[in-house]
Amino acid sequence: MNGLAFVWREALGGLRRNITMSVAMVLTTAISLGLLGAGLLAVRTIDRTQELYYSQLAVQVALDEPTSAGDRDCTSPTCTGLREQLQADPLVGGVAYESRDQAYQRFLRIYAGQSILQLVRPQSLPATLRVTLRDPTRGDAIVAGYTGRPGVRNVVDQRALVQDLFTFLASVRNAAFGLASIQALAALLLISNTIQVSAFTRRTEVGIMRLVGATRWYTQVPFLIEAVITGVIGAVLATGGLVLGKLFFIDRLLGGRLISNAIPAVGMSDVLLFVAPLLVVVGAAIATATGYVTLRLYVRN
Amino acid sequence: MLRLEHVSKLYPTSVRPALDDVSMDVDPGEFVFLIGPSGSGKSTLLRLLLREESPTSGNVFVANWNVARLAPRKVPKLRQRMGCVFQDFRLLGDRTVAENVAFALEVTGKSGHTIRAVVPEVLELVGLDGKGDRMPAELSGGEAQRVAIARALANRPLVLLADEPTGNLDPETSDDIMLLLDRINRTGTTIVMATHDRQIVDAMRRRVVELHLGKLARDDARGVYGASR
Repeated sequence: MNGLAFVWREALGGLRRNITMSVAMVLTTAISLGLLGAGLLAVRTIDRTQELYYSQLAVQVALDEPTSAGDRDCTSPTCTGLREQLQADPLVGGVAYESRDQAYQRFLRIYAGQSILQLVRPQSLPATLRVTLRDPTRGDAIVAGYTGRPGVRNVVDQRALVQDLFTFLASVRNAAFGLASIQALAALLLISNTIQVSAFTRRTEVGIMRLVGATRWYTQVPFLIEAVITGVIGAVLATGGLVLGKLFFIDRLLGGRLISNAIPAVGMSDVLLFVAPLLVVVGAAIATATGYVTLRLYVRN
Repeated sequence: MLRLEHVSKLYPTSVRPALDDVSMDVDPGEFVFLIGPSGSGKSTLLRLLLREESPTSGNVFVANWNVARLAPRKVPKLRQRMGCVFQDFRLLGDRTVAENVAFALEVTGKSGHTIRAVVPEVLELVGLDGKGDRMPAELSGGEAQRVAIARALANRPLVLLADEPTGNLDPETSDDIMLLLDRINRTGTTIVMATHDRQIVDAMRRRVVELHLGKLARDDARGVYGASR
């Protein structure tokens, strides 16, 4: 189509004419979209981590000293009673017994080679009923229901223990979104400003266009395309930044031995297939909306 | 072709209306001089015809369009049938003569085929054949105005509006431009020309509409500029 070629030529010409503004606009957009992408990746990682943990989390009902010391396989009336009652609870998915010896063996395995081993004797560890829940968020009901019961030393909801990790991840996400929104505001203003400058540099042309009866397609769409090109280039740069960030920062951070089992890795497909298309769409949409509003408010038709 | 019915235009920043209850009719093929001192409302009248402005009250008709009530998306259609020339030519300095004329066709969606046919035709009509590759900076004032006229004619307008087209030209060149406008008018294009140029008005002996302080002061079928000014 004839008009399409014209609109493209005008848009590219506009970007070239205001090259410094265009670059500033692209970079600001890229940073804001990059932060948005980082936030989205954080959300995804948080979801996965939660999935990973919640499937393994249990409420530990630790038994008191007499039961822990004497009961190897939950045959005492205290333990059997607790277990049967737990199994009958609709919240509970399963109950497993871990004797003091088994707990100690697991302890030895987890802390192999570390000095804490010197301090711990089997006697320090209680036997436990490991309760897995149908809904991992309802651990508080078990804690409330079994704390202080005969034969129970204490009840620990493991989910409460990993909550700190999730709080940390959530704060990373919030910080990324917060920065992204400030940057997005800057990007909006820059896009708006650049369109105004662009429209001003081309005021003679646009004036003539209006006089000879050019439609909005010719007078305004070039500016919109200019903005959209900026948004899309910004999104591509942001994706590139996220890929580099993943390769050189996230992978190293999460690749460490300590943390690699605690937080699932961020995959390249997360960046390229999940976040990148979103950034392109968001970048283009924001640029179009800003462009449209700017043309409406500041540029006569 | 053109019709104003009790048209008034009051700008928000001014106490005196720029146009005050002006009514007039222009038949197809007429040549009308619009005269009056600066601030008398000539430019406002032209702007209303182009729907650059809307009247505060009254009706403006161009051909079959009720201009003041026209939906914004239909305004381009109206303007495509109105040619405009100005004192300052308004050419694009970074395009050749031919490209300046082609621009009007291009931005109104004409095909490359049409553009290649029409541009040389109108350039020849205004007496610029063979000068299509010149840049505006290389042209004399008279030539520049001819390019502007060629551009205004490219879309085959029903009406040509000229706002002081000879304002920047010496008398001799002005006469040439008037000859050209007269020739265009004789091919059937209605022309409304706002001017201060007494000599031209007196020489042409065409219809003269005089505005004074926004009011219609005179409408003579074959008038002169007038002795009072």
